[in-house]
Amino acid sequence: MKLEICILYPDLLNSYGDTGNSSILAHRARERGIEAEIHHVSLADTFDPKKYDVVLVGGGQFHEQSIVAADLRASKGALLKEYVHAGKVTLLICGAYQLAGDYYVDDHGNREDGLGILPVYSKPCVERMIGDIVIKDEDGTVYTGFENHLGKTYIGDLQPLGKVISGFGNNGEDGYEGCRFKNTIGTYLHGPLLSKNPELADWMIKTALTLKGHDVALTELDDSWEKAAKDVVLRKVREAG
Amino acid sequence: MTIFLTKILIFLLRLRGGGSSLPGKFALRLNKRILTKLAQGWQVILVTGTNGKTTTSDMVYKALIAEGFHVMNNSAGANMTPGIVSTFAKHHKFGDRRPNRYAVIEVDEAYMREVTSMITPEMIVVTNIFRDQLDRFGETTTTYKFILDAIKNVPSAKLILNGDESMLGNMPVSNDCVYLGFENYGEAVIAANTESIFCRDCKTRYEYESVVFNHLGAYRCPKCGHARPKLDYGVTDVMLSPKESTFLLNGDEVTVGVPGLYNIYNATTAYVVADQLGLDRSTIKNSLATQESKFGRFEKVTVGERDMRLLLIKNPAGCNQCIDTVAIDQDEVSLLFLLNDKYADGTDVSWIYDAHFEKLAAMNVSKVIIGGDRAYDMAIRLKVAGLDRMNFTICKSYDEVLEAVAKQERDLYVFMTYTAMTSFRGYLVDKGLAKKI
Repeated sequence: MKLEICILYPDLLNSYGDTGNSSILAHRARERGIEAEIHHVSLADTFDPKKYDVVLVGGGQFHEQSIVAADLRASKGALLKEYVHAGKVTLLICGAYQLAGDYYVDDHGNREDGLGILPVYSKPCVERMIGDIVIKDEDGTVYTGFENHLGKTYIGDLQPLGKVISGFGNNGEDGYEGCRFKNTIGTYLHGPLLSKNPELADWMIKTALTLKGHDVALTELDDSWEKAAKDVVLRKVREAG
Repeated sequence: MTIFLTKILIFLLRLRGGGSSLPGKFALRLNKRILTKLAQGWQVILVTGTNGKTTTSDMVYKALIAEGFHVMNNSAGANMTPGIVSTFAKHHKFGDRRPNRYAVIEVDEAYMREVTSMITPEMIVVTNIFRDQLDRFGETTTTYKFILDAIKNVPSAKLILNGDESMLGNMPVSNDCVYLGFENYGEAVIAANTESIFCRDCKTRYEYESVVFNHLGAYRCPKCGHARPKLDYGVTDVMLSPKESTFLLNGDEVTVGVPGLYNIYNATTAYVVADQLGLDRSTIKNSLATQESKFGRFEKVTVGERDMRLLLIKNPAGCNQCIDTVAIDQDEVSLLFLLNDKYADGTDVSWIYDAHFEKLAAMNVSKVIIGGDRAYDMAIRLKVAGLDRMNFTICKSYDEVLEAVAKQERDLYVFMTYTAMTSFRGYLVDKGLAKKI
């Protein structure tokens, strides 16, 4: 049993610690005796959607993000769409979340086509949305992270990742954060996301292995630090009012 | 009159203790362009860039003092406009006619434009541009634009630039430029998680002949030709030790009394500034050789039988340099981490995943002590990096940290963010374990 993890553009979309999500997934798999390999796929490489069980795409700076956008449009975007629409496990964060949508409006007001992977779209906002964020999903699970984005994203009828308890979320207007589409999560949460939200990490591992035909029950890990780290953010947010 | 009132305020605040930027804010309120007046008669050297500002300024300051000049400088805590105004006001003497007065001023990158709109410096030193606390600074291209605009304000200033920094080569400015760097040092290997490796001008991935660390090295864009300029001062024959480094600079042997490749950049930069000012080379070399570790730069603090080396970490590139320097140590050591998330630390702690703590897992590590507001985030990071969680002690207070330190059988390296450094240092001073600065 082996988990094949792919990070797309780790040398370009690497500004906010998002590549840490791959290390966390691999660590949590290995702790359970499941083999895990992390594959870096960037500009010069080909992306073969069949090879991977989990694909992670993070956030980057504008300079680098514009390079990624061009590369995705030219070749890998259609393959990523095929991968996502096949129901495979994907985590799209911040810049990647925006880019995956139908379109986004850049800060000069130009409407740019997205990759059409997720039925969402984004617009720029006046002030950056920065800070700790707390959300709760429909099962009552609480997730925490750090958001830092200039884009407002609208998810239409898609299921959100959670309801915003504190922070801005997708657009600072409708009270929702992130989205779920098949087995793909789009979100603004850095932190990195999986460092303090082991529930999501395990959902990704379990789903990916199940899709591969492995019916596994993941053994419990000692997540007391993860829980404590989450509590620190919850307390901080509560104290800030 | 503004200067007089500001000096009174500085005096009053000193009686009360502290307050370095408040008088400056007050002075700026009375006269927006007060800095122009205050800087008259001083030959100003501005030092900016992400990492190395404080150490480089300190080295230049000490060399100028050793040469017998009258020199003033500011502290890292006073590197924004109000703090700089306060510093000038404090050193202002009415009717001062002394020649060869130098002001060595480190400036926060975001404040450079404002400062050069009021001061025309002799020199501007730019150390490097790394991603740094993105919640405060934004992106590296933004930082580059801040610095570029600041330079455009003062075409007569000579620029002392890190030639290995691809952001700083061949800038569209008319100033005299002096470039320093390492002559083909380091393998041409770039870690995936490195910033600024795509051409500043045309977005093509750079090719490297050699990489000193991070993205600093001999770069060339295969498409548009943006490449490292010819170095005016080149470092060769590098010898590193956990205590100091020795190298040749244009063939001249230099020893710097603080360890790490990044301190070779700092020392080289200071040497170039001094050389360009016409100082005696032996003066600057003596000064660099006796450079001592200070506030958070490998400063030594002794607790009982144990030596602790304090390291300030604030962004991935700087942290990686600390990790690499610690990794030179072959002995068994213990590690202490204090991670805070206050404004001055950067409120987003995600950056710890952009630093290569994995390298510490390859060291001979005895125990790992972890504290600070975000101790658990740090613990998770180190666990994922491959350090053995069975050796971890997580502390909820500095008392617990000190207790854990006292139990160590090995000397410690202490990695700490800015406010953790100031508060933990303060705690050690109160306990009589460290000197007050």
